[in-house]
Amino acid sequence: MKISLDWIREFVTVDIPRQELLDRLTMIGLVADTVEERDGDAVLDLETYANRPDTLGHLGVAREIGAMLELSLKEKSWPLAELPQATTEIADVQISSENLCPRYCGLVVRDVPVGPSPDWLRRRVEAMGLRPINNVVDVSNYVLFATAQPIHTFDFGKIGGGKIVVRKAKRGETLKDLDGRTLELAADMLVIADESRPVALAGVIGGEASGITDATRDVFIESANFDPVSIRKTAKKLGLSTDASYRFERGADVGFAPQAALMAASLLTQMGGQASRGLIDVYPKPHKPKSVRLRLRRIAELLGVDVPESFVVEVLGRLGFRVEAAHKGSWRVEVPTFRVDVGREADLIEEVARFYGYDRIPSEFSPVRSFDLSVNRKRERLGRIRQTLLGQGFDEVINWSFADPEREAAAGSGLQPVDVQNPISSRASVLRTTLVPGLLENAAWNLNRGLEGVHVFELGNVFYWEGEKHREELRLGLVSTGLLPGAGWTSGPAETDFYVLKGALEALMEALRFEPFAFEERDHAYFEEGRALALLYKGQPVGCLGILRKSLAAAASVDRTVFAAEIDLTGLFEKTPKPFQYAPVPRFPGVSRDLSFLLDRGVAYQEIGKVLAKLNLPLLEGFELRDRFSGPSIPADKVSLTVRFRFRHPQRTLVAEEVDRVEQDIVGHLRSAMNIQLREGKIDNRTRAN
Amino acid sequence: MADLKDRVEGLRKAFEAEALKVGDAKSLEELRTAFLGRKKGHVTLLFEDLKTVPAEGKREAGRLINELKESVTVRLDAIEGQLSLAWPSVSGTSAEAKLDLTLPGRKKYVGAAHPLVLFQQEIENVFLGMGFTIEEGPEIETDYYNFEALNFPPHHPARDSWDTLYIKDDLLLRTHTSPVQIRVMEKKKPPIRIIIPGRVFRRETPDPTHLPMFMQIEGLVVDEGATFAHLKGTLEYFIRALFGEKIKVRFRPSFFPFTEPSAEVDIECIVCGGQDKSCRVCSGTGWKEILGSGMVDPQVLKNVNIDPEKYSGWAFGLGIDRTAMFAYGITEMRHFYENDLRFIRQFGAK
Ligand SMILES: [Zn+2]
Repeated sequence: MKISLDWIREFVTVDIPRQELLDRLTMIGLVADTVEERDGDAVLDLETYANRPDTLGHLGVAREIGAMLELSLKEKSWPLAELPQATTEIADVQISSENLCPRYCGLVVRDVPVGPSPDWLRRRVEAMGLRPINNVVDVSNYVLFATAQPIHTFDFGKIGGGKIVVRKAKRGETLKDLDGRTLELAADMLVIADESRPVALAGVIGGEASGITDATRDVFIESANFDPVSIRKTAKKLGLSTDASYRFERGADVGFAPQAALMAASLLTQMGGQASRGLIDVYPKPHKPKSVRLRLRRIAELLGVDVPESFVVEVLGRLGFRVEAAHKGSWRVEVPTFRVDVGREADLIEEVARFYGYDRIPSEFSPVRSFDLSVNRKRERLGRIRQTLLGQGFDEVINWSFADPEREAAAGSGLQPVDVQNPISSRASVLRTTLVPGLLENAAWNLNRGLEGVHVFELGNVFYWEGEKHREELRLGLVSTGLLPGAGWTSGPAETDFYVLKGALEALMEALRFEPFAFEERDHAYFEEGRALALLYKGQPVGCLGILRKSLAAAASVDRTVFAAEIDLTGLFEKTPKPFQYAPVPRFPGVSRDLSFLLDRGVAYQEIGKVLAKLNLPLLEGFELRDRFSGPSIPADKVSLTVRFRFRHPQRTLVAEEVDRVEQDIVGHLRSAMNIQLREGKIDNRTRAN
Repeated sequence: MADLKDRVEGLRKAFEAEALKVGDAKSLEELRTAFLGRKKGHVTLLFEDLKTVPAEGKREAGRLINELKESVTVRLDAIEGQLSLAWPSVSGTSAEAKLDLTLPGRKKYVGAAHPLVLFQQEIENVFLGMGFTIEEGPEIETDYYNFEALNFPPHHPARDSWDTLYIKDDLLLRTHTSPVQIRVMEKKKPPIRIIIPGRVFRRETPDPTHLPMFMQIEGLVVDEGATFAHLKGTLEYFIRALFGEKIKVRFRPSFFPFTEPSAEVDIECIVCGGQDKSCRVCSGTGWKEILGSGMVDPQVLKNVNIDPEKYSGWAFGLGIDRTAMFAYGITEMRHFYENDLRFIRQFGAK
């Protein structure tokens, strides 16, 4: 809202330095974003709030300044040159939609010499950033910006039958507005009509046909009050926002309507017109003033400071409230009609606090009276996930929850995406059903900028329809492509691979103690055929990982192999892992033996575990893959594995012979179940302890 | 037989005693030769003697000697391993022995957490320390939780500042984290002392300081006797914890439908200190708005069946993105969502 300090002085004397005024206005909640110098005047661009339509005019701002500086508002008279003829003899006003138009005031000013406004009025209009049009239009703008009460002026000669009817539009009616647009009116829109057709869209914009022109002689001044919701709906539906609709939809001052009409009439008669006698004021259900109880005790209870009684009475009085003592420490406060925002004790306490000064309220620490002892497992788990993945060298990203519907369909999550009705752009018109495409775009972005590898993860929600219900699911997504970070001068760069990603997931599941978990070969739309695993916990799939489909990567302009994974954390976190228990640290040394053997390419490594699990081998503590290779030195249909087996007895030191026996047992079973062939001469049978 | 058993035990003890004295490679080799030497090693000699043991005790004796050999071997290997770590074989001051200690260190690469997550955790930690707990809620919300329960009447212009992305007529992307306040108050009785971090969505045309998605964190305290003074004291402490002891803070009146009275919290511009009339951060005012706050509107309490005569509350909310921008001097909000690793990694280990 533009506020001219010169204009403010019509209503209140302001003689403090400008910067001090601005600072003090800020501290009562009126912040000037900018100050524009205009030949001796200063025009503030004041931030206003949706609940304070009274500050959308100079009078309201002057009232705030008066309360702030402890000054009274100036009295101003609005003399009127009146005709002997009563308004009711010339014009007729009927309201047929009382609930949408609580009050309608009007009068006629005859023989107005339409022409340029006097200088003082032009200056006022220009200060508001508007172009002066003619004295009649300028006067209506003057009243609006002075008082926040919109008024409208009609060419009375164009009002058929001199009849003003406030009614809802009829089916099929249109109105050509002041800007020349033809508005299609809907049946719930309120219009001002004459005896036959709409002449204005009530509270929003006037019609061209009844607008003021140089040929206008008689002017009908309308000063009314309209239902905020109706005005807002109408303006929204037609895509219009005018200075009038902006005020009406926030709530105009129903008590001020007659005064605004008389102000306009006074100005027009000062320019040569003559007003009809007596105002038409149709006000079927006069507003009952709101009365609010205010307790001194409550002010202290909410603000945490004792505000003097006299201050409360004084400041509310200056703001236009009528304050009456009810009991000791309690008042009945009558709310003026221009304060549509005030209706409860808390609202009054805010007024007291604003003018008492937030800076004078003490700062105290908020006491803790009890603790919420519920445990937030989810946050703890997310913390572990983050820590583990950062430790594995993955960087964290945050992508948009919005997605391009085409990209989403191509990714193939198989989920029904949630559409946004009014998206920012068509490329962000659905919510993502998977984190993978976003992560792939991160890879593309960074590879395009010269990074040689991208290894990133994101924790975030995906959304989808499940029948009629929308679902929101927390996911973890990972993408790994290109060179791994951390190459130094002692070791060269290494390329990521599937097992880097798998290892990260293994570390993650271990850190979360969701053990034992398993992987199973299972194809998925994200991945190349035969190049994907499902991650299972308690037999249920909770995620997938694999080599991303080449076509997906290519669509994102990534030409390197991309490894990706996605875990459903909502699903995983619903499961309860076994409580963790420590195992005693071994007291006796163990023995390990490395065994190198050839394995048929068609046999999966995890078969070793399956075979061994069936045997009763109490001394076998565990085994790990130490080396795997294939090449010219071994048959083409084989791979060479070196597996380290660890043996230990809980109560004593092992003897070489007993380890030999178990080892032979293992070799025998692997040989018969998996057709392994020990690599002659390559068996590293060196005994190690650990 | 008993004699051999004693000798094995004696040798074991002797070995243990000697092993403790080993301090360098030379003494280690001497010990190895003394016990395992191919000709005169103590253990080697025991195997020689085994030949003279009568058949019935041979098996047991063999086992004992084998055990000794294995444990001696293991121990010697272990000492060797330790020695090679502690004492590089090259020492002295000869040119050949010179180590270039100025070569760069070898770092394990640790990933960088997203700056917004780091900043959010910083904020959370301040409040966790003051006895707050963390609550979360859905990102797709109903009109009731996002607006109506928070005292935004339908069709009220107050909704204009919370431009909304709709899913269906009654379903929307939450425009703030405040609906979680309602959800928590519906299920928990006061005292309530929570913070609520999360993603929020607005129908904003992207510009340097506005995006259709950003991170917010808000707090809520509902208790008997909660006052505006508590709001001030707690938020001032929070701001000092984040921006330093000396930062200046001011509270000024504002409007939010769900608080009454409402306050905007400004902090002194750390970029220009109010000295630069054309400062991009504070526009020369010297103040930067970082928080919205206020006493919980009594209507909001009524909406969740909390008696506003008995309980009062205060709440605050801030944009994590914008506060982080201010703290780190970032001028473009979109950097947070471009996920350029050259940006993100600045916030981790280099
Ligand atoms: Zn600044």
